[in-house]
Amino acid sequence: MAGLSLQKVKKRFGETEVIGGVDLDVKDGEFVVFVGPSGCGKSTLLRMIAGLETTSDGRIEIGGRDVTGEDPAKRGIAMVFQTYALYPHMTVATNMGFPLEMAKRPKEEIDRKVAEAAKILHLEPYLQRKPRELSGGQRQRVAIGRAIVRQPGVFLFDEPLSNLDAELRVQMRIEIARLHQELGTTMIYVTHDQVEAMTLASRIVVLRAGRIEQVGAPLELYENPDNSFVAGFIGSPRMNFVPVTVVGVEGGKAMVAAPKLGLTGMAVATRGAAPKLGTAVNLGIRPEHFVAADGATSALSGKVTLVERLGGVTYAHAQLPEGGTITVESRDARSFNAGDGARFGLDGSRAFLFDQDGKRI
Amino acid sequence: MKRSFGQSLSLYGGLLLIALLIVLPFWWVISGSIKLPREIIQRVPTMIPESFTLQHFEKLLQASDFPVYLINSIIVASFSMAFTVLLALPAAYAFFRMEFPGRNALYRTILLAYAFPGVVVLIPLYGLFAKVGLIDSPVALVIVNVAFALPFSIWMMRSFLATIPREIEEAAVVDGAPTTTILVRILMPLIAPGIASVAIFAFISSWTEYLFASVLIVSDARRTIPVGFAGIIGQYQIDWGLLLAGATAAIIPVVILFALVGRWFVSGLTDGAVK
Ligand SMILES: Nc1ncnc2c1ncn2[C@@H]1O[C@H](COP(=O)(O)OP(=O)(O)O)[C@@H](O)[C@H]1O
Ligand SMILES: [Mg+2]
Repeated sequence: MAGLSLQKVKKRFGETEVIGGVDLDVKDGEFVVFVGPSGCGKSTLLRMIAGLETTSDGRIEIGGRDVTGEDPAKRGIAMVFQTYALYPHMTVATNMGFPLEMAKRPKEEIDRKVAEAAKILHLEPYLQRKPRELSGGQRQRVAIGRAIVRQPGVFLFDEPLSNLDAELRVQMRIEIARLHQELGTTMIYVTHDQVEAMTLASRIVVLRAGRIEQVGAPLELYENPDNSFVAGFIGSPRMNFVPVTVVGVEGGKAMVAAPKLGLTGMAVATRGAAPKLGTAVNLGIRPEHFVAADGATSALSGKVTLVERLGGVTYAHAQLPEGGTITVESRDARSFNAGDGARFGLDGSRAFLFDQDGKRI
Repeated sequence: MKRSFGQSLSLYGGLLLIALLIVLPFWWVISGSIKLPREIIQRVPTMIPESFTLQHFEKLLQASDFPVYLINSIIVASFSMAFTVLLALPAAYAFFRMEFPGRNALYRTILLAYAFPGVVVLIPLYGLFAKVGLIDSPVALVIVNVAFALPFSIWMMRSFLATIPREIEEAAVVDGAPTTTILVRILMPLIAPGIASVAIFAFISSWTEYLFASVLIVSDARRTIPVGFAGIIGQYQIDWGLLLAGATAAIIPVVILFALVGRWFVSGLTDGAVK
């Protein structure tokens, strides 16, 4: 088991900088998830930790040891790929035992550890099969088994569930969480799926264009995002952003209004320096934080364009007078109808303000 | 897509025609080798032999130098095949996976080797081999055959390697496998069809090579089949029966080779690896 430390880590492919100076400390036993949109450099960063990509600049430490120039096999890591990357001509048992065989461990030790891993992953009946005779979920379990037998200090996962269908994905997600509880090993997990990130992570690292936007516990990011990118990325459906103007400031709160949208004034908590009066800012409200319009002190008005009734929750998509759209969640399936004009109640205590650059105010 | 009956008919008709074009000469040679001489030279050739004799084969094996040529050919072709495979594999891997300056330029130029007909290099090569004392040695033939088979073999092997998903190799790297182990334990089993193709290509190129074998080998006892055989049939007059028997016997080792490596031609070797 080992912690991990990235210090000003950079990666360039030719002229293009793909990772632009990442600093991160991961404590022993943590489950850290890298999230971000496709192409933001998650895989590249993970592969640098694995040693599959060279590091252009900076330093990588695993278990307190500088491994920046070290071979992947000597870093004390194990990696699970999105595409499983099993050895197709070997049996499940040989696949899982391969790293130990490479480490020249005695046969009885290999057999014992493979049997242990197979037990943890419910793969015992399949040990003599070839990968092609397994289902997708079983293949990914073999790939995980191959990682487990090495007893690495750090597990690296690169979108391990992306090739699975939705139902299996949920099942495997739970299994990976259980595995982390059982083994207690540090895990670094890459995904573009914020649900996986929220449910698995002890800490989430949000990446954008090769830089860290914010690091924090899932609920911290949800409740206290540093910028509109993080706010929009964490939470589903996405946070709504509505242009408003600052009309008053007092005691850590800003009064914002958007008369054309029916919002005459609402107090929203700010952090740091108070915004100037008259500043155009963006109001962020999550779909699940709208309240009933009756009795709400402030509200937005708009026209409902589409209603999605999922049974438990209902999502209303609405057009605002000035062209923007919002998504509103409701527990009452009958509260909105497509084509109707409606008012959407706001709760200022659950709203955020962002400046024009997306920075939280 | 479903073919209409007419399309199917013309497709199979066409295939049959092509198959006949290829198979007929073989049939004519093989069936001719067991016909009595007078049936072979009959004005109207017979498709089904009316006579049966092994006299041509007896003569070939007992009264001619054919067995010597056959053994020479087998030795030269086997070594040519082995060295071609052994060299093409790491070379193709290097072109495929390793980073070194000039890799792409070099890769694009290796096939250019075939732009020069063999005759062009015959004289300089002869001089070269004479200097190192390899004239009249099967080693010279092996060197030439390997050199000529390599560019295409490398090119073919590389395209087989390109079908293997990169993650498999990366997983092996993380698992601690050194490059040679990755090549031998992971990649070679997965490109078995490619290795078989290269082996057959190298064997047959060597088996049928005439030009260099006729110049670099001087003594009769070291000739390979194509050259030696030309001598047998042309010495006094053409002995058709002997010619056909020799041609038939020359096919046999190739057929055996196909039978041996044929089982490597299996598809779907990488199934289950990444999907
Ligand atoms: N070998 C490479 N050469 C050049 N550019 C690369 C290479 N690998 C990745 N990139 C680029 O780096 C960026 C980040 O890629 P990646 O780490 O795969 O993103 P993610 O995993 O977040 O989707 C992408 O723009 C991609 O095109
Ligand atoms: Mg990726």
